[in-house]
Amino acid sequence: MKKWEFKPGVAVLSVAMLAIALAFVMPLLWMISTSVKPEKQAASQAIRLLPDPASSTLPQAAENYTAVWHDSTVQFPLYLRNTLIVAMLSVAGMTLSSAVVAYGLSRIRWKGRGAMFAITLATMMIPFPVLMVPLFAIFKQLGWNGTLAPLWVPAWFGGAFNIFMLRQFFMGIPKELDEAARIDGMGHWGIFWRIIVPLSKPALAVVALFHFVYVWNDFIGPLIYLHHRDTYTLALGLQLYQSQAGQTPWNLLMAASTLVVLPLVLLFIVTQGSFVRGISAEGLKG
Amino acid sequence: MANAADISRRVVLGAMGAAAAGFVAFGPRGGGDDAPKGAVVIDYWEKWTGHEGKAMQQVVDEFNGSQRDVFVRYFVTGNIGQKALIAIAGGTPPDLVGLWNFNVPAYAESGAILRLDELAAREGLRLDQYRRGIQEVMTTGRGADRKWYGVVNTAGTLAMYYNKKLFAEAGLDPARPPRTIEELESAHAALTKRNESGSVVQSGFLHGEPGWWSWIWGYHFGASIFDEVTERATIDLPQHAAAYRWLQRTVRGFGGTDTEAAKALELFRQGFGNYNTPQNAFLAGKVAMEIQGPWLANMVEEFAPGLNYGVAPMPCAADIYDVANPVALVDTDVLCIPRGAKHPEAAMKFIAFTQRQDITERLALAHCKICPLVKVSDGFFKAHKNRGLAVHNALADSARAFVVPKTRAWPEIKDDFDATVQRMWRLEVEADTALKGVQSRAQGYIDRVVEQRTRRYGGT
Amino acid sequence: MVFVLLPMGLSLYFSLTDYSLLESPVWVGAGNYRRLMDDPRFWLSVRNTLLFAFVFIPAATALSLVLAVALSGRLRVGKLVQACIFIPTLVPMVATAVVFSWLFNGEYGLVNAGLRAIGLEGPSWLTSRAWAVPALVLLSLWSIGQQVVVYIAAVHEVPAELHEAARLDGMSVVGRFFRVTLPMISPVVLFNVIVLTINTLQVFAQPYILFRTKDGQNDAGLFYTMHLYDNAFVYQQMGYASAMAWIQLVVVLILTAAMWWASRRFVHYRAA
Repeated sequence: MKKWEFKPGVAVLSVAMLAIALAFVMPLLWMISTSVKPEKQAASQAIRLLPDPASSTLPQAAENYTAVWHDSTVQFPLYLRNTLIVAMLSVAGMTLSSAVVAYGLSRIRWKGRGAMFAITLATMMIPFPVLMVPLFAIFKQLGWNGTLAPLWVPAWFGGAFNIFMLRQFFMGIPKELDEAARIDGMGHWGIFWRIIVPLSKPALAVVALFHFVYVWNDFIGPLIYLHHRDTYTLALGLQLYQSQAGQTPWNLLMAASTLVVLPLVLLFIVTQGSFVRGISAEGLKG
Repeated sequence: MANAADISRRVVLGAMGAAAAGFVAFGPRGGGDDAPKGAVVIDYWEKWTGHEGKAMQQVVDEFNGSQRDVFVRYFVTGNIGQKALIAIAGGTPPDLVGLWNFNVPAYAESGAILRLDELAAREGLRLDQYRRGIQEVMTTGRGADRKWYGVVNTAGTLAMYYNKKLFAEAGLDPARPPRTIEELESAHAALTKRNESGSVVQSGFLHGEPGWWSWIWGYHFGASIFDEVTERATIDLPQHAAAYRWLQRTVRGFGGTDTEAAKALELFRQGFGNYNTPQNAFLAGKVAMEIQGPWLANMVEEFAPGLNYGVAPMPCAADIYDVANPVALVDTDVLCIPRGAKHPEAAMKFIAFTQRQDITERLALAHCKICPLVKVSDGFFKAHKNRGLAVHNALADSARAFVVPKTRAWPEIKDDFDATVQRMWRLEVEADTALKGVQSRAQGYIDRVVEQRTRRYGGT
Repeated sequence: MVFVLLPMGLSLYFSLTDYSLLESPVWVGAGNYRRLMDDPRFWLSVRNTLLFAFVFIPAATALSLVLAVALSGRLRVGKLVQACIFIPTLVPMVATAVVFSWLFNGEYGLVNAGLRAIGLEGPSWLTSRAWAVPALVLLSLWSIGQQVVVYIAAVHEVPAELHEAARLDGMSVVGRFFRVTLPMISPVVLFNVIVLTINTLQVFAQPYILFRTKDGQNDAGLFYTMHLYDNAFVYQQMGYASAMAWIQLVVVLILTAAMWWASRRFVHYRAA
């Protein structure tokens, strides 16, 4: 074992980094802190992390969170369910379809494959505003506006970024496996399901995770395509809660924000490695 | 190889997934209702929440209980003017929507809401049942061209509220509120208090409180914003410049250079609480006079029961002062039937129910508003919480009562106007220059809608 | 693809028409584009958006790189710090904006409370003209965690021998960063700057929530996509909004191409 020695440079750097880490978590800490205070103490200039007296934290938290959960106008339980429905359908579609397309772009040789791949990549650059108006018109023809469909059906047609990432991953799987499988009489579906998918689980998990976060965060989509209050998602519900001009006390608003943020943070803690590994892999290209 | 941490992580992830799936399967669903079998169900979107929402819900419940043919479902929707438009355009409109009166012109001209003339007549509603100023918000066009687009749900007119106790303290007569802008300015000077360090702690009058009607001040000097006949913006009239120079004078009164004055005002305002709280600037005595609707009495009762307030018409420039015809904005919310509504007749049945004398009066009492009907019962006056009800009532009949400019370009003009007034308010630009800019941009927005109308429908 | 190419074509067509939400499109040729040139609020939104991009993109990239280099060493606290920096990227934009509107509250916000503690009087961040963009930059810098993680991974890929050789040549830490690390990870930086640019030019949810108050829109907080949204869904000018969208698309394409081209001289691609 190496002998521990004190390095002043490392110590200073560590302290500086911890300070920066604190700066990054402070907004979230303050959000939670405000969410467990009574309204009067939330709107005060004093900097306190816990309510006064500190023993009132739990009952006050219970009171605030119950008030948010049971708000008669902004029905968070309902929006949680809607968000989960969209997330499940959308994540399933995105993962599956991106994988199929990526398979086609990486392991099947066909004319125009290169061009197709280039077009797919180019679509990454298209700003959403270019699509939002015509999609609104198209969804109207289909009768989808006002339902959850506009938020998850497009996911079944794959996403450029994910296709790109999975293609890179699939390219790394030895071709010999395909050939062996073909000798065994497997078609493309067989190869895809029995060889590629099992070998690509980590990459597929990353796609699923990131798409889940994307759906949870999406604001402009629900803002445009959801009309009936009962169909709102959490992000839109939070904005509705916030926009009740001057009526929503800050402590309840922060409690609502905490409710929206919490599931993602939990997911991060549980799957921490995957998130970070996934991003490292995704960003490493150019 | 899977180690212990990996396994427990999978267990947690699985549990989260299962919880999510369970919530989807068994979680709450919207739209549950107890409509009687065979009834026509209509969706009604409204903006009211809190106790105002409860009063509206009561009307809905009473209607649902009164008959078995139509069942109304009440949905509160935030930012209703935008939400409803998107829903109508997207092909998923409700059957009935409670808009603000300022939404109506743009909705009407683009065909987003239905004309009500025939539907209303079938239910026995007539325009002449309503006060003059109220008829204005329900219709577009004049004379033979007049078209009926909405039915007033609750109505208010804007008046000046003043704090009688602060008046007395400042040596002013609480029974003789200012009538002209000049008088208002001198009262403002007398009512503005500073602390030892010179910061304002109490302001006489403040244009930005509550700040919802940034564009009206020129009307109190005798000008309007838009000429319906020639379709010209009239923000370049000298009366507007006079009005906003007055606004900037008020800000400069906070002392020092322009930057300092704007900063001092900002600091002063940051000390105000939210509108609907006891810390509201007027209720807390930080502002002695402000422009408000009749609903303020509800807030006085809830948050500041001891407040001794007076109500008078909002002062206007001396040269247009007319005791019989004071200047006032009519501010209402309106029930409209969207294009594409599945059951317009049923929606109209409900509208007619809300217009019954007893129902509309009861709703007006709960919301603390005026009664939009010409006929008002004695009981209404007796039961009303607002001591200035007579003032608000008279304002709705005044020849100088005005409504939001009736042009499809209004949403753009208003956003632009609001943003410009914000800049004037922070003394970033002089009123004269700023108004010239608004005028030319507003005319641009109007020209565009005129051009588009000509292109789409030909002629004028 | 159906959800991209078909809408793109439609969008181009709409941009050449006068199209409201409820009425059918009428052909106007280049009319919308001409009108855009004379729309002061369009230019205002362009100005605000570019100002934000010019401040935010370099600031975010520089900060991410510095943090990445600092965290790529073998600090005991590295993993913890990395997690703390990453978590904010998971927070939904709406929640971020709501939380920051509370932090930036002039009277009770934590930011001004902190400034007060050190004897400064903070500005009213969200309503003043001068501080709107800085406030949005701070908020956005809070969510740079993804880039930091990417850059850390990239820095780890730089062969240790190169560093060792540079050290033996007597290069300082700063010198090694600019002469060794940065050139080696330049393809990753380029890719991320391009993605960041595309996203920054579309910023919507955060300013929509931060700068729309009951007093009206703060002029300094009107961004391109907000003006586009207003035109499409509030002012019923879908054709006009589509023209704005296409201008946005063209600008994004030009910027991307320009960055690509300009970077050929700097970006170092390792032989595969």
